[in-house]
Amino acid sequence: MENRRKTSSREMRNNFRRWLSIVFVLAGVLLLSLFRTWSVGAQTFQTPATPSASAPDATATLPPFDASRLTRPPVSSSPSQAEQGSQIYWGVCMACHGDRGQGLTDEWRGAAFGPDANCWKSRCHGKDHPPEGFEIPKTTFIPALTAPGSLARFLTARDLHDFILANMPWWNPGSLTSDKAWQLTAYILKLKGVLPTGIALGEQNASEVFVRQMAPPPDDHIAEIVLAATLLLSSLGLALQFAWPRLQPASTPGLEAGAPTISRPRRPNFFAHLHPPAIPAAQARWRYTLGAGGIAVFLCLVLVATGLLEMFYYMPSPDQAANSIQTITFLVPFGGFVRNLHYWAAQALVIIALIHLLRVIFTGAFAPPRRFNYLLGLGLLIIVLFFDFTGYVLRWDEGIRWALVAGTNLIKSIPALGESLFLFVVGGSTIGPAALVRFYTWHIYALGILGAVFLIWHLFRVRRDGGIAAPPNRLPLKAGRIDRSELLRREVLAMLIAGFVLVLLSAFLRAPIALPIRDNVIQLTEARAPWFFLWVQQLLKLGSPFLWGVLVPLMVVLVLALIPYVFRGPDETERGRWFPRKGRFVQILVAVIFLTLIVLTILGYTSAISL
Amino acid sequence: MTKISRRDILKLTTDGLLAGAGLLGLGGLVRFLSYETDVPPSEYDLGPADNYPDPSRTVLPYIPAILIRNGAQFTALSLACTHLGCTVEEKGSEFDCPCHGSRYDSSGYVLKGPADRPLKKLRVEQLQDNTLRLYMD
Repeated sequence: MENRRKTSSREMRNNFRRWLSIVFVLAGVLLLSLFRTWSVGAQTFQTPATPSASAPDATATLPPFDASRLTRPPVSSSPSQAEQGSQIYWGVCMACHGDRGQGLTDEWRGAAFGPDANCWKSRCHGKDHPPEGFEIPKTTFIPALTAPGSLARFLTARDLHDFILANMPWWNPGSLTSDKAWQLTAYILKLKGVLPTGIALGEQNASEVFVRQMAPPPDDHIAEIVLAATLLLSSLGLALQFAWPRLQPASTPGLEAGAPTISRPRRPNFFAHLHPPAIPAAQARWRYTLGAGGIAVFLCLVLVATGLLEMFYYMPSPDQAANSIQTITFLVPFGGFVRNLHYWAAQALVIIALIHLLRVIFTGAFAPPRRFNYLLGLGLLIIVLFFDFTGYVLRWDEGIRWALVAGTNLIKSIPALGESLFLFVVGGSTIGPAALVRFYTWHIYALGILGAVFLIWHLFRVRRDGGIAAPPNRLPLKAGRIDRSELLRREVLAMLIAGFVLVLLSAFLRAPIALPIRDNVIQLTEARAPWFFLWVQQLLKLGSPFLWGVLVPLMVVLVLALIPYVFRGPDETERGRWFPRKGRFVQILVAVIFLTLIVLTILGYTSAISL
Repeated sequence: MTKISRRDILKLTTDGLLAGAGLLGLGGLVRFLSYETDVPPSEYDLGPADNYPDPSRTVLPYIPAILIRNGAQFTALSLACTHLGCTVEEKGSEFDCPCHGSRYDSSGYVLKGPADRPLKKLRVEQLQDNTLRLYMD
């Protein structure tokens, strides 16, 4: 006994030592690799930043004068658009923007101008320039046209053309014709290596030609189509199982004859466990529920997943936000698809939530005991609208600018509270850099947490209130019930069909995108509110912002919220049916409200203010 | 009169304390979120007065405002619509708002609603060295 204990304790010590040494070696390797990473990082950090392209008064030694770089570029006998552009470029733009579009670099100044290399003090562009010359503004940066990341403010060839036409050449803007601006645009895109071959840029095609290099060809939708087809086929398969329940095995096979039968019910998995073991069949009729609630939950899941993916690339800072969205949309593989999914799921959620609300009102399902859950649902609808507005603002491009200004200034119109509430929401007394970070945080964290709490609560209350409102069950208890595997299958079917539609939409219809916001330009491209707030914009044209933009929308919400507390729902016998007789007034009231909102929305859409 | 037991008083006090703690936290949260990191500038230097020919109307989009020179006199109008703050655009001899269709005449008075106040007049001062300064207040 004594001996054995000794051995075992020695063994333990040996084991301990062995483990200790292994841990030590591992820790060492880890430390070494950390050090390596750190030192590499440090080296990167020490690399000097690229010198800026033009530094006024730079006295650095410049390369020698090289007259060959000033020769006119050759032209073929039937010059292409870009070649014609090269001639204008050579005569008008090259002096400042460089022979390769490099900008006014030191290298270019030396090579091109020799003794006059210091442009800001030269006889042509100094203070006492001759009548034909002009003074180069010291403060204005002369941009490179072809360097990586250049022309980042332009999305399409049309934007570049419009800018050139309106602002170039610098000393005489507006002197170019539109044709010449198209030729210059073509030449610059050719220098950048993004000009598609065999097309002439013009009004009709320029919006489709992108200034920045776009990796995946935008017309390749094969993966999306395959995904959509897979979803469609599997939903067909599920629907078939549904239509012919006899295809399912009648009873659990596998037990050999004569073996003792132990009846062990199948234990529900996680997803089955979210449902009651069985529900009355009357609660799960498509014609009654329209599947709206279930599809809304599915859309929420899609939004969480795609939103998470977008966060890997989105940069919530004013000068990077719009560009990072361009990166997601045009450069990241399937990035555009993910963004489209997020966008279309968000739009669909508003519509599905409204359909769900109308279903509940038109069937009188808001009656006790479901009054409180009705309020929770209404709260969710408002949360969804705020989600959509904040998400829309995160684009931070010219397309959202005025909706953001007008939408947030509405807060200011609230008497007494307005100013401090504005500061709370926007993070400043005007819309500044802080506002974007605020909206990012509201969108993802604040609304995310609030929405999750409300959604889970809403779903929990459905079960707590005895399921969905249904007609009283006069049949024997078992006959009129479906078990949860059947319920789950119907839910999955609804999700597959919704997913199919969503994938198809996202494959072919791109979510809106516009140019980055530029503070020094007043550009009135899009002054419309997002579609779900067009009715508010239309109301606001009537006058007082507080009355029409805050009070009236609040009144609409209040009327909807009070419905179950003011009106009695339908009788017990009329439950679970569309348009019960007791409740006509509510049905007409809500129909009138919604029709008014729809008419206002259409008016707001069509009466775009012509500028 | 109903009798209030010691237990009731204890419960009431606890609830009150908890509510107070919650309110304190809420107040702290409001103050935390109400700090202004970027205060917008209250004045802008517009450079030498000679940069603006006589007569001229110069749009300063980054403010946004329009600087009007008439003889030796400089005036400025804010270009933020007084309805909901969108930037108005000068169209011919009037200013149009893209958001809700307000229109102003060339001196900033309302021609058509929903705006109900004229564009804000901004103070312009000509300093000793002949440069201009624009005040936002």
